[in-house]
Amino acid sequence: MTTLGAAVRNDVRERRTAKGLSQAELAERMDVSRQTINSIETDRYTPSLPLAIALARFFGVTVEEIFHADHY
Amino acid sequence: MQTITRKSYKYLATPIFGVLMGLVYLVAFWAGGSLAYGVFGLVVMVAFSLLLLVARRRSETVRGLLDHRDERITAIDLRATAVTALAMIAVVLVAFVVEIARGQSGWPYSMIGAVGGLAYLVAVIVLRIRG
Repeated sequence: MTTLGAAVRNDVRERRTAKGLSQAELAERMDVSRQTINSIETDRYTPSLPLAIALARFFGVTVEEIFHADHY
Repeated sequence: MQTITRKSYKYLATPIFGVLMGLVYLVAFWAGGSLAYGVFGLVVMVAFSLLLLVARRRSETVRGLLDHRDERITAIDLRATAVTALAMIAVVLVAFVVEIARGQSGWPYSMIGAVGGLAYLVAVIVLRIRG
């Protein structure tokens, strides 16, 4: 189940800025809202597995390379 | 090849439902002999519907709730609905206890509580079967 509280760390912001994309542009590519991208980047929201995979594919990395769940 | 872009009017569903409910209030109050209350109910519902349409232009959250729903908004909506249900359950329980303490039958709160409990059980069973 998607959780809103216990988020895992991620490198979405670093990878997005490295590509020269705004939050709104990445949101449009992922078919989510800009707020959702912002919440993911600030570790306030853990995306669903499909969205995590879509983000990883978009940046050309594996899910583990972009999301870091140290406590598991 | 020509691409046809269809404009979605999905965002109008909730405001239209609000106005329709306002009309239902109007007719119900009118039938009950309280036309003024009915007009007030309709005005409130029309105002609420217009407020939603105005807020949609300014708020990404309202826009998400009305028509551009993504997984985070869906999760927020689900949790907000659960909080609303908890508040309603608390009100029904308190009202039921107060009513029976006053020597009444507890109606209609007993019926509302029974429907709620049954709905929860059915939902758990169906969702459990669906995995």
